[in-house]
Amino acid sequence: MQTIVTDALIIGGGLAGLRAAIGVKRRGFTPLILSLVPPKRSHSAAAQGGMQASLGNSAKGWGDNEDVHFADTIRGSDWGADQVVARMFVHTAPKAVRELAAWGVPWNRVQKGDHKSVINGEEVTITERDESHGLITARNFGGTAKWRTNYVADGTGHSMLYTMSNQAIAEGIEVHERMEAIALLHDNGRCQGAIVRNLITGELMVYLAKVTCIATGGFGRIYRVSTNAVINQGIGTAIALETGIAKLGNMEAVQFHPTGIFPAGILVTEGCRGDGGLLLDAKEHRFMPDYEPEKRELASRDVVSRWMETHIRNGHGVQSRFGEHLWLDIRLLGKKHINSKLREVKEICQYFLGVDPTESLIPVRPAQHYSMGGIRTDYRGESPTLKGLFAAGEAACWDMHGFNRLGGNSVAETVVAGMIVGEFMADSLTTEATLAISSTAIDSQVNEVRDELASFQRSENNENAWQIIEAMQSVMTDKVGIFRHGEQLAEAVTELQSLYERAGRIKVSDTSRGVNPELCAAYRAKKMLKLSLCVASGALAREESRGAHSREDFPLRDDKHWLKRTLSSWPTDASSPSIDYEPLDVKAMELPPGWRGYGGKERIDHPDTPARQAEVDNVQASAEDRFAKQQQLMPFTECLPAPFRGRNGRLSEELES
Amino acid sequence: MLFKNPLSSPRGPAVMDMLQSVSGLILALFMWAHMFMVSSILLGNDAMYWVTKMFEGEPIFGKGYPILVSLFALFILSLVVLHAFLAMRKFPATHRQYRTLHNHLGGIRHTDSYLWYVQVITGFALFFLASVHLYQLIMHPADIGPYASSDRVWTGRMWPLYLMLLFVVELHGGIGLYRVLVKWGWFMGKDPKVGRKRLTIAKWVLTLFFLVLGSLTLAAYMKVGYEHQDRAGERYHPAEYSQLHSASQGEND
Amino acid sequence: MNAANQQSIPVKVSTARTIEFAIFRHNPYDDTSEPHFEHYELEEADSMTLFIALNEIRAKQAPSLQFDFVCRAGICGSCAMLINGRPGLACRTLVSQLPAKVTLMPLPGFELIGDLSVNTGKWMHGMSERLQTWIHSSEDTNIDAIEAKMAPEKAEQIYELERCIECGCCIAGCGTAQMRPEFVGAVGLNQLARFKIDPRDNRTDAQFYEVVGNEDGVFGCMTMLGCEDFCPKELPLAQQIAYMRRAMAVAGVN
Ligand SMILES: Cc1cc2nc3c(=O)[nH]c(=O)nc-3n(C[C@H](O)[C@H](O)[C@H](O)COP(=O)(O)OP(=O)(O)OC[C@H]3O[C@@H](n4cnc5c(N)ncnc54)[C@H](O)[C@@H]3O)c2cc1C
Ligand code: HEM
Ligand code: HEM
Ligand code: SF4
Ligand code: F3S
Ligand code: FES
Repeated sequence: MQTIVTDALIIGGGLAGLRAAIGVKRRGFTPLILSLVPPKRSHSAAAQGGMQASLGNSAKGWGDNEDVHFADTIRGSDWGADQVVARMFVHTAPKAVRELAAWGVPWNRVQKGDHKSVINGEEVTITERDESHGLITARNFGGTAKWRTNYVADGTGHSMLYTMSNQAIAEGIEVHERMEAIALLHDNGRCQGAIVRNLITGELMVYLAKVTCIATGGFGRIYRVSTNAVINQGIGTAIALETGIAKLGNMEAVQFHPTGIFPAGILVTEGCRGDGGLLLDAKEHRFMPDYEPEKRELASRDVVSRWMETHIRNGHGVQSRFGEHLWLDIRLLGKKHINSKLREVKEICQYFLGVDPTESLIPVRPAQHYSMGGIRTDYRGESPTLKGLFAAGEAACWDMHGFNRLGGNSVAETVVAGMIVGEFMADSLTTEATLAISSTAIDSQVNEVRDELASFQRSENNENAWQIIEAMQSVMTDKVGIFRHGEQLAEAVTELQSLYERAGRIKVSDTSRGVNPELCAAYRAKKMLKLSLCVASGALAREESRGAHSREDFPLRDDKHWLKRTLSSWPTDASSPSIDYEPLDVKAMELPPGWRGYGGKERIDHPDTPARQAEVDNVQASAEDRFAKQQQLMPFTECLPAPFRGRNGRLSEELES
Repeated sequence: MLFKNPLSSPRGPAVMDMLQSVSGLILALFMWAHMFMVSSILLGNDAMYWVTKMFEGEPIFGKGYPILVSLFALFILSLVVLHAFLAMRKFPATHRQYRTLHNHLGGIRHTDSYLWYVQVITGFALFFLASVHLYQLIMHPADIGPYASSDRVWTGRMWPLYLMLLFVVELHGGIGLYRVLVKWGWFMGKDPKVGRKRLTIAKWVLTLFFLVLGSLTLAAYMKVGYEHQDRAGERYHPAEYSQLHSASQGEND
Repeated sequence: MNAANQQSIPVKVSTARTIEFAIFRHNPYDDTSEPHFEHYELEEADSMTLFIALNEIRAKQAPSLQFDFVCRAGICGSCAMLINGRPGLACRTLVSQLPAKVTLMPLPGFELIGDLSVNTGKWMHGMSERLQTWIHSSEDTNIDAIEAKMAPEKAEQIYELERCIECGCCIAGCGTAQMRPEFVGAVGLNQLARFKIDPRDNRTDAQFYEVVGNEDGVFGCMTMLGCEDFCPKELPLAQQIAYMRRAMAVAGVN
């Protein structure tokens, strides 16, 4: 068997993995990237809408800064996020945009003068400053106080990923494409690489590394209706779980995007609503203002998705052969805008629906979209339990999104996390990381994988992998969806459990050499079921509603009992996950829990909240500048790698000081 | 400098590509001009006669020098040779390439790819057909005129060659001109996709026009040649010619 | 109001055709495998794309069938194949728009992985390395400082060319690329044009000439225009090749 040795093994060639690899390489170490597909085909390419960073160049973003971005992010997370990590993120995001600008991303720019725009269904004129002309502009996204989403038409992720991937090629970073990590190698509580299956030849390989980083993206494909790519099956997350040592955080926090086209689930960007698009019901009534008078279509995604489902339940959905849906109306944005800034949207409507969105309504319904949960790491991106295992991007839960992520915060996170985690991996390589795995450990772990793969060819097996995956996806969409209920969740857990058992009896009939898609489905089915069980069990256990996790039987956010992070693990040889919790410390929060500004106002408060709020109010009332106040409330700069500590230049601040 | 060993120098590819287009362009434009001149027979023998004499330089020198025609034909021949040499590099070189190309063309059902192949085939044919025609003109430059040409066409049995040559060259030149414009991005207009559509239409209209004109012309030569076959070899002497001739001389005085 | 009321669900009404698929099958890693076509029948369903059809065929009839889909939304470029002889993205091809007999073949010009799966990634990676498709800049950027300005139109113009998804249709649709594997193709020329117009890239025309000023580069293109006509992103490829050709011609004689 082929064995490959490297300093840093990076599993995943999306934005997060590529940026992390560049960081490691620039520090003089050798990274190696594994990817299921050519990096440019990673699902980061699908991000249409944009990337949040508080540059504050445009008129509607004027006065924006890290503080505003931070508050939006924490509110969006429904106070589930790690506030230090969120601070690190909002501070580094402008640097990430600027770095990408230098590397070639053609960010849309501010055009000075008057512009027509659609806000709240009405045409308004926005006047851009002369000084801002040519700087990076931003569009509106849900849940934000300022227009902060930097974008490249509606191909933001595509441009970012191509730029990043080209940069990685420029730096001579080795990428092994069509390789799937199917188990992590570890010894003495330290991750030392991975066992990898070559998706061309079907051969198993061993990659040994001093540090390993999982950047494998989301796991949306455990759901039937998802905006995610078909490769987003969460295998990377699952192999961390399967070590029995690393843990997954907040797996029940699953985001549903309001505007998946119906019934295919393909996403049309939030930019549609950000740019002025409206949601209409069967009577073509614009219903969002009835539920959310302030933010309307632009409340956070969890809130909008829930109101949409509520509205359908109340009998206002459009009937169709495939079930009910609502309409998205972007006709009012005009042909010119749609043909230039929302071109991908137009193409998607044309090819998958056969309609022209400049003239017709778009049928939409919420679809699974994003996994807030993932491999639990500290702020450095390293697993607290399995040393040498790092994670970044959507696969990770270093926890900046809590229970709901804001649109545009994810591609921003991938790059920022790549920057930060890349540095910390390099630090680790400088100080402690070594390759110290015994050959017996390697052999036994490889044999385990071999045995599992061989087990699918036992003659007494009788289950079909694809059928099991389909059944799992239906359980998840039907019972662990937008609205959740204890009874349904309990059913879901039971059904998933039985599917998991059946998955042990999957029969693979094809024994020829090569990739063997049937075999892929077989081993992936088992891993995906493990993740599904983590999600369903976590959702069943969490008896409150927070962010995207919405329990009909426990409609309130309950800070008193549930201001804590769910941790799932899968002990070796167990047949179900075990769950424990990690509390969030209100006393250390820069922004103590409160009302989000949209969604329900009622909640059960944490006993420490009033005291902390008073402290915070005190500091905020002082005369010091925003940096000093922030420093006093929750110092974070020391947590950042040195290269990213500098203050961000900003036109509005330079002009006003 | 420009022509210094273009094959091996790094600027070779650029120079050769430009020369290919320039030679093709000149040839194609010349073909159109040529067609107009040759078609003067449609206006009558006198018109054709007049054009012939023009070409022999009579208006300038007062007397026709057929050698001028020879020289000009030689020049055109050298252009054809240069062009053919450059263009032949684009021909599929091996059996394998031919097979690949045929598979490719058979599957994709794509007009512009077919047209390219038409150029390859017509180009190949031109190599022989044009050479014969030009060789004849270079060697017998004086044998051009309403009767001489018609006799060649009919009695000399050149018309089948001309018929082929006509179709082949009009297709080749028309497609070639279109290709040159798209290739260098000329006359594409504001929206190149629309521009290309417009050019495609213009190309077919022009090709059709010249094919019709050419066919009529050839028919005219054949008719004149047929009627003149008994006196083949006789030269044409326009009735008005001497008058016309002296009149113009008179004006010069 | 009225207009939209009339709008029914905008998907094709069921025709319940039975579609006959002839699919190219070959597993080069299996010594016993010979290239051949295999036939499958499938009941057409509403708004069925080739993505849905192929997955159904695999799940029920041909478990070993290989093909590539990632985004299934026409944006990642994974799923290009020859659909009835012509290159296109399978995921966004509606079966309803095809005749009742559908032939599927892998994209020609790329290394075959198996059945309908080809290694476009490897080809594109090689192209990127060869043409150096990244910004060449000598400046060190200070990522704390306000970014350099750029004309808004320029940014849009660059994005226009950057929309390429490296699907390979322009290679499969190009006779030149099929005959001459070394040819960089429209995808390469377009990408280089993208960097050439980018003010952040400091490369001179002479430097660009070094990589594409030859018969494997822009001067190899014979203007067959399949690239432009089969590009699923409708990129202005002919225009970009012309632009590069003019620039390289000038650079070549200077
Ligand atoms: C349709 C859509 C639109 C979106 N729009 C936006 C937006 O506008 N703004 C925003 O901020 N966010 C958006 N998001 C979210 C955002 O795009 C993703 O969260 C983000 O791109 C994830 O990046 P990543 O680097 O973590 O993972 P990915 O880009 O998904 O990359 C994962 C990588 O891991 C590899 N991989 C996976 N498993 C394995 C394995 N087992 N072995 C080896 N390699 C493996 C894959 O090949 C791939 O290279 C959108 C998401 C979707 C689905
Ligand atoms: C006699 C032998 C000839 C041969 C073998 C020949 C062959 C070819 C071939 C193969 C091409 C395509 C080149 C490419 O795709 O790059 C071509 C292009 C062309 N030919 Fe010819 N040709 C010949 C004569 C002529 C004549 C007589 C004309 C004039 C009508 C002509 C006009 C053109 C033009 C305008 C082009 C396009 C040039 C370009 O693409 O740059 N050719 N020729
Ligand atoms: C200097 C160069 C040329 C001269 C002086 C010339 C002259 C003539 C003349 C006088 C005729 C009438 C018939 C005859 O006399 O035989 C003729 C016919 C024709 N020539 Fe040429 N020719 C030239 C070059 C070419 C070239 C390069 C081509 C094409 C490759 C060409 C294609 C034809 C055709 C197709 C006809 C028949 C036209 C018809 O009857 O419709 N000629 N040419
Ligand atoms: S240029 Fe068009 S056809 Fe070619 S790879 Fe890019 S997107 Fe595909
Ligand atoms: S099809 Fe090929 S020959 Fe040129 S115009 Fe396109 S690259
Ligand atoms: S699967 Fe992504 S383009 Fe078809």
